[in-house]
Amino acid sequence: MVRARAPTGTTVTPHRRATAVALLLLLGVVGLSIANPSVAAAGPTLAISSPADGTVVGNGTPVVVDFVVSNFVLVQPGRVGEVVGPTEGHVDVFVDGGYTWMATQVEPIVLPLSSGSHTIRLQLVDDVGNALSPDVNTSVRVVTTQGPAGGVPTIRIVSPVPAQVTGHDVYVSVEISNFTFVDAHGQPNAPNEGHVELFLAGVLRQDLSRYDTGFMVDLPDGNNTITARLVNNDHTPLSPDVFATVTIFVKGSSVSVLYETLSGGVAVLLAAILVVLIFRRRKALARVMKERRETP
Amino acid sequence: MNLRIFALLVATMGLMFVSGGSASDVRAASPPALSILLPVNNAVIGNASPVPVVFTVSNFNLTEPGTGPSSPNAGHVAVFVDGGLRMQVAVDAFRLALASGSHTILLRLVMDNGTALSPDVSQSVSVNVTQGPATGQPGISISFPMEGAILGTDFYVSYRVSNFVLVPPGRPNVTNEGHLHVIVDGSFYAEVADYQPVHLGLPDGAHNVTLQLVDSLHSPLNPDVSASAHFTVHALVGRVIPVDYTTYFGVANLALAFAIVALMYRKLEA
Repeated sequence: MVRARAPTGTTVTPHRRATAVALLLLLGVVGLSIANPSVAAAGPTLAISSPADGTVVGNGTPVVVDFVVSNFVLVQPGRVGEVVGPTEGHVDVFVDGGYTWMATQVEPIVLPLSSGSHTIRLQLVDDVGNALSPDVNTSVRVVTTQGPAGGVPTIRIVSPVPAQVTGHDVYVSVEISNFTFVDAHGQPNAPNEGHVELFLAGVLRQDLSRYDTGFMVDLPDGNNTITARLVNNDHTPLSPDVFATVTIFVKGSSVSVLYETLSGGVAVLLAAILVVLIFRRRKALARVMKERRETP
Repeated sequence: MNLRIFALLVATMGLMFVSGGSASDVRAASPPALSILLPVNNAVIGNASPVPVVFTVSNFNLTEPGTGPSSPNAGHVAVFVDGGLRMQVAVDAFRLALASGSHTILLRLVMDNGTALSPDVSQSVSVNVTQGPATGQPGISISFPMEGAILGTDFYVSYRVSNFVLVPPGRPNVTNEGHLHVIVDGSFYAEVADYQPVHLGLPDGAHNVTLQLVDSLHSPLNPDVSASAHFTVHALVGRVIPVDYTTYFGVANLALAFAIVALMYRKLEA
């Protein structure tokens, strides 16, 4: 072993020098950590950058969640030689409290969600799936719909037109905007989606969940008021109420005009003949009476 | 010498302390393993949603196929659906679009060249996919006609379905999915699978209509889910029948004709 000689003449053994270096290194590193509290205190963070809280995701599109992490490395769990630590792991995704997805990379999470309101929660976990201590999670609330994300729904009755005279059966065509028809099967309400209900004189006649023409049959004679109303999946009216109304006239049953007209015409003709005959008879009687008076 | 070792130990411990490595847990080498976290076995996947599959491996590196040498500790996952290879994945989460029905999803660890590990490392789960909701009790109600209504000869029966999706019959039998049987006066009338109102044309008298939810095999649900309405049909109800003067005109014509004949006869007599 080579020994160094100290310049001052004092002999310093190598192991003492190594000890001194080690202690200095330890003190230096610890001192650096203490001197820079931000480094020591900075724990893992997680934030959802998109969508914003309360976002309405329309047209039945999946929800795309963008997130950022810091002071934490996303890795594949269970890899060979894995070392479990508080600064690496993955992201567990929960939708409405239920475990839904795992993200091992910082990339958009695509979540196809059914219509309605949902809470998406992201949580950092270590490689074996345990939550960090303290827990690092974030959540966002979104509303998904098959309809458009924005806009005010409207409805207009295209046919029949107001005051139209119709028979007892009538097709009802509506025109809507900012609203999507879906089959109502008990799903939650969602903005701008639902179906239409047809009322006759205020009484519900049909639920139409397809963008199709309604057909109302056997309408009573006279004025009939048809109302088409947009409703939610649970059949409640929208807020504010969106409806359209049209009043039509259903022509009553008629008799055979031909027979009635012919009979009436013949009656008029016979009456005229009768009047003429009566008039002529009276004139004839007057003439006969005059001839009898003049005859001695 | 001892002091040197002690110094190295102290330095190592110090570095580990500041780096947080003191809390780490170095796993002992063990064979690769696979565990499916999602879906749970026999889960019902509603609304025809794609099936999310989440799994974890241990002692196995997931690598894209064709990116590395074949090794028993690295490779990807072969995904089998109902016995057929559907896809290969190298991530812990993916989705499967499955048709309505019961399916078996099997995940198997394979090496880069697609060869299964020895011994085989795989796990499977069964799922039931439905277009209906995953949970909830099905229900049906008749919104028109109302109970006890008096109706004309023909009309439409309108109804509301909840927690159940109507699909054409003939598909696999799954939860909360099926169609409607329309029963008029106790006799089968029609089956409906499209949410459209049902047209009925009935003779005068008392009638009843029953709408019953059935599965894809036409069997009633258990428990039975149906709704009925009783009503009376009166032809021409709600119609205004105008007075027909034809008969009166006929009688008048006869009287006029008689009067004319009588008048002519009396004129000849005179």
